[in-house]
Amino acid sequence: MTSLFRKLSWWLRRRRKEAELREELQFHIEEEAERLQADGLAHDQARWAAHRDLGNMTRLREETRTLWTSAVLDQLAQDVRYAWRTMWSNKMFTALTVLCLALGIGANATIFSFMDAILLRSLPIEDPRSLIVLSWRMPKRPTPDSPTTIRAFRGVMTDEGAGVRALVWPYPAFEMFQAEDAIFTSVFGQHVANGLLVDGGDGGLADGTYVTGEYFRSLGVRMVAGRPLTAEDDRLGAPPAVVLTAAFSHERFGSVDAAIGRSIRLENVAFTVVGVTPPEFFGMDPARSPDVFMPVHTGPLLRAQFAPGSTQEMYRDPHDYWLIVAGRLKPGVSAARAQAVLGQKYEQLLAANTPPEQLQNRPTLTIDQGVGGLDGLRRRYREPLYVLFVMVILILTIACANIASLLTSRAAARRREIAVRLSIGAGRLMVIRQLLTESVMLAIIGGAVGVALAFWGMRLLTQLLANGQEGFTLRAELNWPVMGFTAGISVVTGIVFGLAPAIQATRFSIFPALKGTRATDVEVAPRWRFRPGLSQLLVVAQVALSLVLLVGAALFASTVSNLRSTEVGFNRDGLLLATLQTARARYSDDALKTFYAQLRTRLQQIPGVNDVTLSWSVLAAGGTYVRPVSIPGTGIRRSEINVQVTGESFFKTMQIPILAGRAMTDQEVATRRAVAVVDRRFADEYFPGTNPVGRTIEVEGEGALEIVGVSANARHDALKGDIRPVVYFTYGFDPHPLYQMVYELRTIGDPMTYSSSIRQAVREMNPAVTVAGIRTQTVSVDRSINQEIVFARLSNGFALLALLITCVGLYGTVSYRMVRRTEEIGIRMALGASRASVLRLAFGHVLLLGVSGLVVGVPAALAASRLVERFLWGIQPGDPATMAAMVTTSLLAVCLAGYVPANRASKIDPIRALRAE
Amino acid sequence: MRHKPPARVELLRGTLDLLVLRSLLPGPNHGHAIAKHIQRTSEDLLKVETGSLYPALYRLEANGWIAASWETSDKGKRARYYRITALGRKQLVSEQSKWEAFARAMGLLLKPVEEGTR
Repeated sequence: MTSLFRKLSWWLRRRRKEAELREELQFHIEEEAERLQADGLAHDQARWAAHRDLGNMTRLREETRTLWTSAVLDQLAQDVRYAWRTMWSNKMFTALTVLCLALGIGANATIFSFMDAILLRSLPIEDPRSLIVLSWRMPKRPTPDSPTTIRAFRGVMTDEGAGVRALVWPYPAFEMFQAEDAIFTSVFGQHVANGLLVDGGDGGLADGTYVTGEYFRSLGVRMVAGRPLTAEDDRLGAPPAVVLTAAFSHERFGSVDAAIGRSIRLENVAFTVVGVTPPEFFGMDPARSPDVFMPVHTGPLLRAQFAPGSTQEMYRDPHDYWLIVAGRLKPGVSAARAQAVLGQKYEQLLAANTPPEQLQNRPTLTIDQGVGGLDGLRRRYREPLYVLFVMVILILTIACANIASLLTSRAAARRREIAVRLSIGAGRLMVIRQLLTESVMLAIIGGAVGVALAFWGMRLLTQLLANGQEGFTLRAELNWPVMGFTAGISVVTGIVFGLAPAIQATRFSIFPALKGTRATDVEVAPRWRFRPGLSQLLVVAQVALSLVLLVGAALFASTVSNLRSTEVGFNRDGLLLATLQTARARYSDDALKTFYAQLRTRLQQIPGVNDVTLSWSVLAAGGTYVRPVSIPGTGIRRSEINVQVTGESFFKTMQIPILAGRAMTDQEVATRRAVAVVDRRFADEYFPGTNPVGRTIEVEGEGALEIVGVSANARHDALKGDIRPVVYFTYGFDPHPLYQMVYELRTIGDPMTYSSSIRQAVREMNPAVTVAGIRTQTVSVDRSINQEIVFARLSNGFALLALLITCVGLYGTVSYRMVRRTEEIGIRMALGASRASVLRLAFGHVLLLGVSGLVVGVPAALAASRLVERFLWGIQPGDPATMAAMVTTSLLAVCLAGYVPANRASKIDPIRALRAE
Repeated sequence: MRHKPPARVELLRGTLDLLVLRSLLPGPNHGHAIAKHIQRTSEDLLKVETGSLYPALYRLEANGWIAASWETSDKGKRARYYRITALGRKQLVSEQSKWEAFARAMGLLLKPVEEGTR
């Protein structure tokens, strides 16, 4: 190794080294001459003898020099120089190849950077690998008719096979885990609290995380200022303390140090800032970026305003699931052992608090290695990312095949040059090495341009994924792993696309090539019949691969359009949504309701607005509210049912038909009548065969309601999945203060043109009320299927890219082929072949290539689309119409790319073609 | 030439390295002196070809067995002096024992022929 370094340093200093050697040899000659002179020779004679003794000095220098002029390096430098010259003299070819490669490599680097950010990179906390997260699994999703131990659930439940998985625990379970000293070094809990009102609204809204006392110590987060929250802060009655993120304390207080000791009001509770986290810290979920961290026990203070009476129940109720629990195991404690011990403890807790019939379908504790944090992002994006990664790899493969086929064609044109080099003594390996150097250089340049494209691609993709969401915190970046990956694929692609053409280029008999005869003569027989060479095979492969991508893209696009046209049960056209926050205005409960009614009247007066209503949550947006509902006289108790708080003319504005009875009247809203409308699903499920109108239901936390009507089904949560039963009641009746409401406006023309009128109306009514966002119902629906939309857009882009690269490749291959056969075509024409027949001949070849590609591509596309079946919605993987459409598209593109050079070939002037020989 | 030069012996392949290393054992020296030292010590039986000496020196240097530096010779001229390194010493020991074993084997093999003629 050291000798290699010495050689390298000698090579770098080779000129000085050379001078040194010359001096050393000179010294030798002088010494020898002196010695001979001392022996009695004359001065001149002695000099000559000394020279003679030394022998051929040039050869000697040459031989010595080989020791430092590393042959490998020298040859490399020579190869690079030569390659550079060749590339420079074929600018068009070079530009095309570099572009193809840059697009392929850029797409790869972009997708890889996201994989790195979401799937590979670990959290900015101490030793993330030793973190574990406690999750549970249940064999069946809890349904209203089969009650389980879970009465309240605040978290995410994901489907897993037939069952579900979730991460949240009741507080008593957390306390029990905490007591397990033999298992844990530390345990902590956290709970999400988004949209906290800061300083009565002056500071806007902040996202927060409730954390238990051990949180910061266990994660090993060093504060950049102040101190972390401790167990002392996290108890009932402790003075409210808060830790801010570096970004938030900059925004609110100007600097991190200035924040310490200051007071900040969150939801009207005054907190003292005790610490600031480092800038890179974002908690445990890469999908979130909270601004503040509060002790879990301050929860009741903040919640008091929303749910009076339920203050401290959350720490005692073993049926209320809300706290995410994570920790670090003691050294030597295996995950399996921890799971066994903790699982048993949890079983005991369940048995003590739950009637046996509710234990049929019960949560079982499992331990997840928390490498990637609370894998919200990972869960959501892992599979789509893998699919995208496969797509970009396919694109790169197409680009490689494309360049390989171009190189093969060009190598045919360079036969003469290669023959000369072979005949004057270059070894075949040397020529191959030379050609490989060229392709690797092309790939490296392509890679460099690709990185620039990736920079732009990452920004674009982040924007697409965020889709206007504030606080979207995906941190994709060009870091070392990404750069390493890009460099790696560049070199590998260079070798991959260069090797086969290089080997083929050197495998021919030299003499005909040297004689300057046309390349066609060198081949044994003219290839009018389809006996595909390497470059043709590569074109076929490209057509097949791009068909696979096209079919995938078309299926994803259909999925999005199917999702968009999913029946939502209300008319979404011309519907504008304005979200209002009223906490800052400090209305009393009555005044708030009066304000909502007055604002509605006010908005209705805007010209072009036909109807206005309001509701608690946006419809068909992926989120809904659930309350336990009981129906006296039916045995249905505390069933988890979707509820929607609505305003005046809700059904009229949303255009949801009333099927039986009537809608709530404006009068009923104003007088706070306890009336409800249920949807058809609800009626079918809970009052099968009877008329629900006139019956009474009890909604927990709200009260008893009389059903006055049955509406048609409308979608309140995500577009995928069934429409679920819903109970509608009025905001007038709702006993809770409703600090956030959504106004729905049925407008004429472009809904967004009314946004400034809305803002103005709200400002005039009460400047303290915040308009948090205005968007159309269509955009809101699109946001809920953003992942599918982004996926479809990207795959469409990729498919087009693939098709484009394929067409460029086809065009190049056919062009080269025609140039090589100019003379043959000349002869044919001279012998009476018509232009049309030449065109037919040339174009037939193109068609043959295209059709062969499609014949291979169709089964490949069928197989590939089956692999992505789970990403599809409302369309079958092998949908014949899609298949036919994409085959036609490919064929058209192929014909277009092939027609141009074929047409040019048919316009050859036979006289000129023959004379050129 | 005042006296007839003695019959020269061809250097065996690989022995030059050994000889150079050995000749540097007493102290640093320049190329010319190394060549003369070998010639003189072998009583003029071995003549080092200058043409192979310098490539050998650079090779040994590349291997890290000897190190070179520019110094002033006893006659006041700038010369490139070589000295043996620790690594070179180790190499010399192993080469020398190999050579000795080889010489002994040659001696043993050549002896019985004389005995047979008796």
